[in-house]
Amino acid sequence: MSKLSIVVFSGTTDKLLSVGVLSQAAAAMGTEVRLFVTFWGLLGFTKGEKKMILPKEFESMGPALMEGMKREKVSSWYDMVKEAKEFGAKVYACSMACGVMNIKKEDLDPIVDDMVGAATFLQEAEDGQMLFI
Amino acid sequence: MDAVKIIDSRGSACPGPITDLAKAYRNSKVGDIMELWATDKGVKADAQAWATKTGNEILEVKEDPEKISIKIKINKR
Repeated sequence: MSKLSIVVFSGTTDKLLSVGVLSQAAAAMGTEVRLFVTFWGLLGFTKGEKKMILPKEFESMGPALMEGMKREKVSSWYDMVKEAKEFGAKVYACSMACGVMNIKKEDLDPIVDDMVGAATFLQEAEDGQMLFI
Repeated sequence: MDAVKIIDSRGSACPGPITDLAKAYRNSKVGDIMELWATDKGVKADAQAWATKTGNEILEVKEDPEKISIKIKINKR
């Protein structure tokens, strides 16, 4: 079975949308999907409201982007990751980054399966495709 | 032969149609024919990629102003 592993480093909505699309598409194609969420990515994977965050240089395009996503009926990145999980995708939070950012297991969104270290993720990702987003 | 199962993904953006197809595939059996309806322009190539990856077969692709219809035969479960 093919495998896709994504290191989710970025916390901005545009990049998380890529994470969502690729996770959901890969999972629907029968690929094993794993996300390893670390640093700024973790901000989207803690409990609470998911705010739209855009990189500074594209900030002014936020409203147009929202409008386009609504018009094209594009799901939120969070719903896409949830769809991927429906096909068995796994979401891991990086234990070291959680420590650095003072995020406890109970602070993580229910979408996160476990808090693990880099070695666990790398071992599970072995011989598959890996992306850093 | 069983009736063709219609999967209506019109209006759904990528990767919605492929996801709907994969969900219908879960409840299918070998020999089933499914027909995916979509408006997302990427669906023709995506359905082909899905079929290649999962070992199934595209029988027919039709396009009219309202939708793209793709007929898929389930060869592998």
